[in-house]
Amino acid sequence: MTLHAEVSVAQLCKIGEELCGDKVQVTRTADSLIVVVSDGLGSGVKANILATLTTKIASSMLARGTELEDVVETITQTLPVCRERKIAYSTLQILRIDNMGHSTLVEFDCPRTFLCRTGHVLPFPVQSRIVGGKTVLIGQFELQENDWITLVSDGAIHAGIGGLLPLGLGWNGVASRLTEDVAKASDSLDLCNSLLDCCEGYYLGKPGDDTTVVAVKIRRPHRLNLMVGPPALPERDREVVQRFLSAPGAKVVSGGTTATLVSRIIEKPLKVSLDYHDQNIPPIAHLEGIDLVTEGVLTLNATADRLHTPKALRQSNRMDGASLIARMLINSDHIYIWAGGAVNPAHQNPLLPSTMNIKLQVLRRLRTQLELLGKVVHIEWV
Amino acid sequence: MLTVEICMGTSCHLMGAQDLISILESLPASQREQVEIKGVTCFKNCGKGPSVRINGELISNATPDRLLEIIQANI
Repeated sequence: MTLHAEVSVAQLCKIGEELCGDKVQVTRTADSLIVVVSDGLGSGVKANILATLTTKIASSMLARGTELEDVVETITQTLPVCRERKIAYSTLQILRIDNMGHSTLVEFDCPRTFLCRTGHVLPFPVQSRIVGGKTVLIGQFELQENDWITLVSDGAIHAGIGGLLPLGLGWNGVASRLTEDVAKASDSLDLCNSLLDCCEGYYLGKPGDDTTVVAVKIRRPHRLNLMVGPPALPERDREVVQRFLSAPGAKVVSGGTTATLVSRIIEKPLKVSLDYHDQNIPPIAHLEGIDLVTEGVLTLNATADRLHTPKALRQSNRMDGASLIARMLINSDHIYIWAGGAVNPAHQNPLLPSTMNIKLQVLRRLRTQLELLGKVVHIEWV
Repeated sequence: MLTVEICMGTSCHLMGAQDLISILESLPASQREQVEIKGVTCFKNCGKGPSVRINGELISNATPDRLLEIIQANI
């Protein structure tokens, strides 16, 4: 079974600092998720630069298929060592999960990673190994649906130190907090935020160290099918629509002609909804069996704009076609675009802006935006 | 009851279909209740938008003023 690793990150900066000295780099390749966390020694600019350097080197090497051990060796050999303290300038934590749930973890000088399964929290199993003259912890584990992995920087472990809690929250403190939070969290962002809020609370709103929480939830991928335009050959209409309808996941049809075609084939009426008025986005329509029906290029072009600012989208209550599609896309992991090759006579209208008249161009924009958000996008020309 | 179907396709939208809806929505209540507004995905008349169909008759290049004239003549 294909699994999806949903990942979220939440961070606090040390009080008085504008830059966080912890760095998280999340990379998705065709078949895996790579999360690299690094905590640069100290805080502020120096720590941020070192942590950024570490995460960038590691994630770009891993994304290009370099073996984990080689990456660790490169990092441990290139990281500058503090002259006074005789330790490397930044910590390193690498988590790689493939889409079958096989995970590999590397830890170097960082807090132990939390693994949560069926309500129990325990350290991710690792073994000590010497790589490039340094002791690193490396472990592998087969993850299942509903497992959680949480990575934190030492700022979370030390939350409240010397203040509310003499020795800080500690690993066990974080673990017991996670046990409670995992049961309640609806998604990975929820878990990140509740753990980070807890740390900020123990710091009394004045974090003594940069604090990072990365939560990964293993679940089945959410799939969305988006049909844009009728097939190039009219004789394939029925076959393509039936294949689209039987595909798993949510279904969105974009484009008036396409919606009419689907409505004709499934023999259900298409009703344009005039309930919500938006000057820039044409109205949506309702069709039984389809989750959302919208106009085509204008809506999709605006959807790509909305995806550019996901936070604003989450906070807005706009119900136009573009916002509705964008919200559905954000909540999906695997997006299948059924791009119809038929030439739309309406797009030949010389009054249309030149950026609008090519479906390909709009789809390309949409794809780029979605991939930036970590979505897996498949475009099939039908 | 007068049925007014307005094309909501890309081309008609760009040519001002929304203005047609707005003008119909702002009709005085006594007239508004005699008009049924429906959205339609496409009339296949994209080059001559916005397209409106009033009681079955297709009107090309519709403008709010022209639409009001026709409606008032038919109510």
